[in-house]
Order: sequence, then structure tokens, then C-alpha cells
Amino acid sequence: MIQWWQILLLTLYAAYQIMDELGPYSSAGQAVFAGLVSGVVMGDITTGLYIGGSMQLTVLGVGTFGGSSRIDANSGTVIATAFAVATKMDPQQALAVIATPVAALMVYTDILGRFANTFWAHRCDADVEKMAWGSFNVHYLMGALSWMLSRALPVFLALAFGQGLVNTIVEALNGDLAWLGKGLTVAGGALPAVGFAILLRYLPVKKHVPYLILGFSVTALLVTLFGYVAALNTDIKAVAGLLDNVALTGQYNSLPMLLVAFIGLALSLMYYKTNQAPALAAASVETGDDDDEL
Amino acid sequence: MTSSNATKLPNGTTGYKPTQKDLNSVSLRSLLLFQAGWNYERMQNTGYLWVILPTLRKIYGDKSPELQEMARLHCSTFFNTTNFLSNIVHGVDLALEAEDGVDSKDAVAGLKTGLMGPLASIGDSIFGALLPTVFGALAANMAMQGQPWGILIWVVVNLFIDWFRCAQTRVAYDQGIKLVTTMSDKLNAITDAACVMGVFMVGALVATNVGLSFDIRPEIVTEAGSIVIDIPNICNMIMPKLVPAVLVGFVYWLLGKKGMTSTKAIIIVLIITVALGACGVLIKG
Repeated sequence: MIQWWQILLLTLYAAYQIMDELGPYSSAGQAVFAGLVSGVVMGDITTGLYIGGSMQLTVLGVGTFGGSSRIDANSGTVIATAFAVATKMDPQQALAVIATPVAALMVYTDILGRFANTFWAHRCDADVEKMAWGSFNVHYLMGALSWMLSRALPVFLALAFGQGLVNTIVEALNGDLAWLGKGLTVAGGALPAVGFAILLRYLPVKKHVPYLILGFSVTALLVTLFGYVAALNTDIKAVAGLLDNVALTGQYNSLPMLLVAFIGLALSLMYYKTNQAPALAAASVETGDDDDEL
Repeated sequence: MTSSNATKLPNGTTGYKPTQKDLNSVSLRSLLLFQAGWNYERMQNTGYLWVILPTLRKIYGDKSPELQEMARLHCSTFFNTTNFLSNIVHGVDLALEAEDGVDSKDAVAGLKTGLMGPLASIGDSIFGALLPTVFGALAANMAMQGQPWGILIWVVVNLFIDWFRCAQTRVAYDQGIKLVTTMSDKLNAITDAACVMGVFMVGALVATNVGLSFDIRPEIVTEAGSIVIDIPNICNMIMPKLVPAVLVGFVYWLLGKKGMTSTKAIIIVLIITVALGACGVLIKG
């Protein structure tokens, strides 16, 4: 059961997050942050972070470039986390059943909000003609209201009236539709692939394809290796359990992504330096350096 | 205070020069609410005017015909650029208007239309795509392991970016039109290098974050006995993370199709993977 104050807080967050995304961009308007907030409000941070993190990866490459609407991963995260915690739904299934469809549907409320602002823009035109600057400010700021309502209203309605529907879905997935639940869990693991593919469409992949291969293969090797070590550790612990007086002190963490990012940063810096080099070489020729190698 | 009858310079201004306080107000308005009025028709037109309106009122004098003329220019014309670099346009614009007043009208209009495209492409690739990819992926990875600290790192990085956005106004105002030409070469090299890191990171993310593998081991029964073909293990021997790589390649190809949108692609992948997962061909992990 979702409490009224939880609905209130999540609705307020939904209103704030879009203004943050459009303005200061503190990352409060990102899915992983939405997961943290809804996790804290619902009292299950792990579930919130899991759903938010997964949605973040799904929309990694989807920007609002040139004013295009994108799927609303934040509202999807908020609603999915709230219901996953309230109905004890499996987070991976909540991801595919609630978060993604809600996020895709809310493209339309985004469009509605942007349409509403066209009306306010015309009021602003009229204010300029009258040189009514005070009323220009008011009509301009009404745009923020359109934005906030485009997120807050659907989130509120879903949280306040959606519980019955979600309960039915959860019961079905645990009963007759168990096969579907299995499929949805797999889909949850596959969704980030779409995010990455979209991102590749925005980046100049053809020009930089060696770096794509390098990033994939280095990481695939490392992550496999780290996985093998973890599996080995489990086996050793099992063996040690059979023997007496064996103390195991090793700690094995998963692959640190920050260090993988550092490899990428190093390659990027090297690329920058070599790209700058022709300009420098040309400059040194101009200053009369005769001993050039070529 | 209405100063329409106060002494005016020939260029229509009161001779007022924007102070640091004015530029701060431009930065702050731009940071917080530049896109509040975003609309389909002319996108950031009202936002552009709202950000610089208080300063314009001082430059031209309240209720003066010159103020109305320039306000009309800003409000009626289409404008859309990245909010991460938009203060460069505001700063250069104010430098021109404070100097030449209404005489700068054509120059200001040209400056705005000339800058919004290039700035948007640089801003979108660095601030809209690259940084959210790197830090979003770090935050998401840590989050999925139950750790919220990656989000904190991202917030700190974004606060630096906010500072950078605010700092643009002063630099752009001081340098004026000169800034536009000196910056363009350097920015191209930086954007290009940033893309290298972006592409590398996507490769790394495909290997770590797409959790998918085959789960079928068909049994072939012959007269001599039965052989189990362990497809997951065969795939792993060819290459670990084969299924994620193929799936991303497939979606990339799909997105190149005519009429394909990211939302459609998500729904197609959802249907395919639910079907393959339900009949036990694929498994998460």
C-alpha cells in the first residue's frame, strides 16, 4: 500500500525533476537519481537504485536534442519503484512491465506540455507589444507550470489509482502467466542494449570504430576474469568449509568501472594530443625549422 | 523609473553599461529557467528575452520604443540552442547592444542564428551525450550494486558544469564577437577527442551491462547414445559477451531503418526478448 504522503512526495519530486533537467541539470532529473529518491520515500533504497540504474542505462543515449521528446525514464522509475515496493513485485519484472511502458507513454504528456507553452508564448508576444513587462514575466513563468504538470499529473494519477491494476498484474505473473514473468525478467537485462545502440547512432562511430572494439574487448576480458575469480572464490570457500582450521581472508570485488573509464580518458587525451600535433608542426615549419625529418 | 524622456544617445541607449551584477542575473536566470517557456513554435524565443530583459530595460530605458523594438526581435524570432553554452550568445549579444544599441539589430539577429546551430552540436555531444554517458553509467553501475555514491559523484561534476555555464557570460561579454572566432577551432578538437572516450565507454558498457546469454542445451539422440550440445558454453568459447554484442549490433542496424524511432526500437526489443525468454532460449546474466 502506498501512503498518501508518499504519493505527495513523489508527485512533488516529479514536478521538480523536469525543471532541474531543463535548468541546473544537477542530475536530479536523471533516472538513477529518481530511483534513489523513490527508493528513500518508499523505504527500499536497493529496489529504487536497481530500477533507476537500469532505466538510466536504457536511456543513456536518448537526449532531448533539438527539442525532440524522449521517453520519460524518470517518471517510469518513480512509478515502477513505488509499485515494486508496495506490491512486493520483482524489480526486474517491474522494470519491463511498468517502468518501460510508462516511460514510453509519457512521451505524449511531454508533447502536450510543449504544446501548452505555445499558448503562453503568444501571450508573451502580446505583452511585448504592450510593453507590459510584469505580465510578460508572469506569462513566461507559466511555462514552468505546463512543464511541471506534464510530469506531476500522470505520476499522481498512476500512484493514486493504479494500485488495483498493478496488484492484478502481479497476481497474474505469479500464477497463470509465470512464463511471461520469466520473459520479462530477460527483457529487463536486454533493455540497456537499446540505450547503447541509440548512443552509438549519435556518436561518430564509423570514424572511431577501433575505440569501440577496444572498449568492448578490454572490458569483456576483464569482466570475465573478475567473474571467474569470484566463482573460484566460491568454490574455494566450499572446499575450506570441509576442512577445519582454514582461515580465508581474501576479498574479491567486482570490476571497478571507474578504472575502465580512466583507460578511455587516457586514449581520449592521446587522441587530442596527436590531433593537435599537425597544427604545431605546421607552426614550427613557419618559424624556419630546417631540420625537419621530412 | 521610466526614462523614455531621459537623455538618450543617438544609438537609442541610455549609455548604461551592464555591471557584474547584471551579468550575474543573466547567468542565474539562464541556469534556472531559460527553458521554462520552451514551445514547439519558436522554442526558446521567450526564454531568450526573459533572461536578458532586466538588463535590456536598463540599457534602453523602460517603456522606450527602442526597448520594444529589440524585445520584439528577441521574442518573435525562433531560437534554439544548448543551454550549456547559451550564455555565450547572451554575453556577446549584450556586449553588442550596450555598445551600438538599436544599430546592432541586424548584427544581433545574425549572431543568434549563426551561433545557435554550432553551439548546439558541440553542447549536445559533450554535455548532452558524453558526460551523461560516462557519469550516468558509473552512477547506474554502482546503483545496481546497491551503492548510491556514484550519483553523488555525478552531482559534483554537474555543479562544476553549472559554474562553467555561469562563467561564460562574463567572458563572452568582455571578449564580444572576438570570442566566437578564436574558440571554434579548439572546440572542434575537444569535441572530437570527447567522442573517442564516448565510443570507448559504450564498448565497455556493452560488455558489462547487457545481461543476456543463451540457455538452451539441445540433446541429439543417435543410435550410439545422446550428445548434449552446450550452446552457452560454445558461445563463451567463441567470445564472452557474444549475445550482448550481437544484440547491440542488431538494434544499431534497426535504428538505421527508415521511420524507426528509439521508442519503437525499445518496444521491438521488449517483444523479442520477452518471447525468447518465455520459451527459455535466453536467460538473464
